[in-house]
Amino acid sequence: MQYDPMRPIWLQVMGEIETSIAVGARQPGEKLPGGRELAVAYGINPNTAARVYQELEKAGLCETRRGMGTYVTGDGPRIDALREELARQAVALFLQKIESLGITRQEAAKMILKEE
Amino acid sequence: MLESKELTKVFGSKTAVDHVNLRLEKGHVYAMLGPNGSGKTTWMKMAAGLIKPTSGEVLFEGAPVSIESRKYVAYMSTEPYFYAWMTVKDVGRYYADFFEDFSYDRYLELLRHMELTEEMKTKNLSSGMMAKLKIAVTMARDAKVYMLDEPFNGIDLLARDEIRATILQYATQDKLLLMSSHLVEEMEAVADRAVFIKEGKLVENIDLETMRDEQGVSMADRYRQIYGHTEG
Amino acid sequence: MFKLMKYEFRKTWITKLILLGVTAVAEAVYLYGLYTEKEGPLSVAIGLLVMLAVFGVLVIGLESVLTLHRDMNTKQSYMLFMTPNSSYKILGAKVLECGFSILITGAFYFALGTLDITLLLAKSGQLNQLWEMIQNVISQITINGRPLTINAEIMASFTFSLLTGWIGTVTMAYLADVVSAALLNGKKFNGLLSFVLFLALAWLTGWATGKITAGITASTTMLVVDGLIDLGFAVIMYIVTAQIMERKLSV
Repeated sequence: MQYDPMRPIWLQVMGEIETSIAVGARQPGEKLPGGRELAVAYGINPNTAARVYQELEKAGLCETRRGMGTYVTGDGPRIDALREELARQAVALFLQKIESLGITRQEAAKMILKEE
Repeated sequence: MLESKELTKVFGSKTAVDHVNLRLEKGHVYAMLGPNGSGKTTWMKMAAGLIKPTSGEVLFEGAPVSIESRKYVAYMSTEPYFYAWMTVKDVGRYYADFFEDFSYDRYLELLRHMELTEEMKTKNLSSGMMAKLKIAVTMARDAKVYMLDEPFNGIDLLARDEIRATILQYATQDKLLLMSSHLVEEMEAVADRAVFIKEGKLVENIDLETMRDEQGVSMADRYRQIYGHTEG
Repeated sequence: MFKLMKYEFRKTWITKLILLGVTAVAEAVYLYGLYTEKEGPLSVAIGLLVMLAVFGVLVIGLESVLTLHRDMNTKQSYMLFMTPNSSYKILGAKVLECGFSILITGAFYFALGTLDITLLLAKSGQLNQLWEMIQNVISQITINGRPLTINAEIMASFTFSLLTGWIGTVTMAYLADVVSAALLNGKKFNGLLSFVLFLALAWLTGWATGKITAGITASTTMLVVDGLIDLGFAVIMYIVTAQIMERKLSV
């Protein structure tokens, strides 16, 4: 994974895992790699990896079972909310870009619908 | 865990390390950064007990570094240092003979990952293979402190990934890892703290994620801020 | 300690192997010359064997000093000094390995020489007459008014004092080299000063030994005492050298 070294790395790895949960690449209740495995797999510092899980847990997207490891939450509505949240972020980013080009939302909407 | 107090080393008329007060804690991977000749290697060698300070001291777990502390501190120098007659197997046996924390099984596993075999002669190794061997034999120790001087030097991209993975594998909560490198980008995600040294003096010892969060700058950016005008 | 000695031997064993190999060849030529009564090969072999016996121990000592030099002044120094061994152990392994090597090599050539002379004597003929002639010549020589006697006892104690003298010299070279690496490093005239120190030590110990053994008249006793004093100096050199390494050496 390529990181933007100017932004916190835990945030970027967390974003990647969130996306994988939202799109179902990681199923509800699925076991996530251990902290060390995550660090090795993503080439990140173990403390950064631990932070990723802490933040995911805080966001209610995963849960740590004592001595068992970390699992994707089984809470379906929470995952739906995540998908919506990510979609809203994508829209916000898109609008920011489109508005900077001086295109109105209506024009943009037409363009989107015309896209194959 | 490892701390230098007013540590100074003078070589002839050159002050290589200049009154450095630096405290390193376990559970962290430190990137020690600075241009060549800024004093990184000299600091490490003093912490390894290979070089005697001109003044000041280095403490390991509160006591001055000594013969005893060498049992727990694994140091890897930039330059190859094995005896010319040694094979890869001899290198492992040597470490097994002198370090109680060395595991030959772990060494064999690391060799396999690094695509090295026991029969290879050290004097015939390419610089990349030599760098991998040094990492393998150093990380096969279950030390408390690992000090790696320029672990990515002379190594191709793929081997760097291998080395990074090895380092991360063994950087557990009870270990302290200190790596120097002039390949700042290589260290960006691996380290969680950076120690900047300039002309023998400590500039700062900083938490990287906090720095990214609060200042929006990368380790490389900070490097440029600090050394920008001194590096030709 | 044993492990350190093992590696000291490992660093120098090729020289020892070569020495042994050349000696074996020379000995074979000697035996061939002796039993076919060919004087040409015999004299060449005798010359070679005498040379090997004399220079063999010298080479072993010199190589040990050179190894110490490399172990302090090249990158391979990390190999030795990163291990959790004190300078006393590191240097002690060197002194013991080198000392034993010199004594064993010396004893080996002494035994070989004795064997070869015995074989020569056992063989009747002209060679035997030559040996008698040599003995006659020796018995004419007198030292301090007493005739020089050559017997196994004297030869053995002479060899002993020669070997211990060389061990003492090697430890003085260690000290001079360590002073150079640890105390004079980077200073002007480093090499020269260290060499002067070596000469001074050699002179001083020689002078002191002369004083101590002055009163002894029996040659065997004198030689043995001389050898023991050499070993005593070797121990002193070792302690001083290890102290300096422990406190001041940076590699």
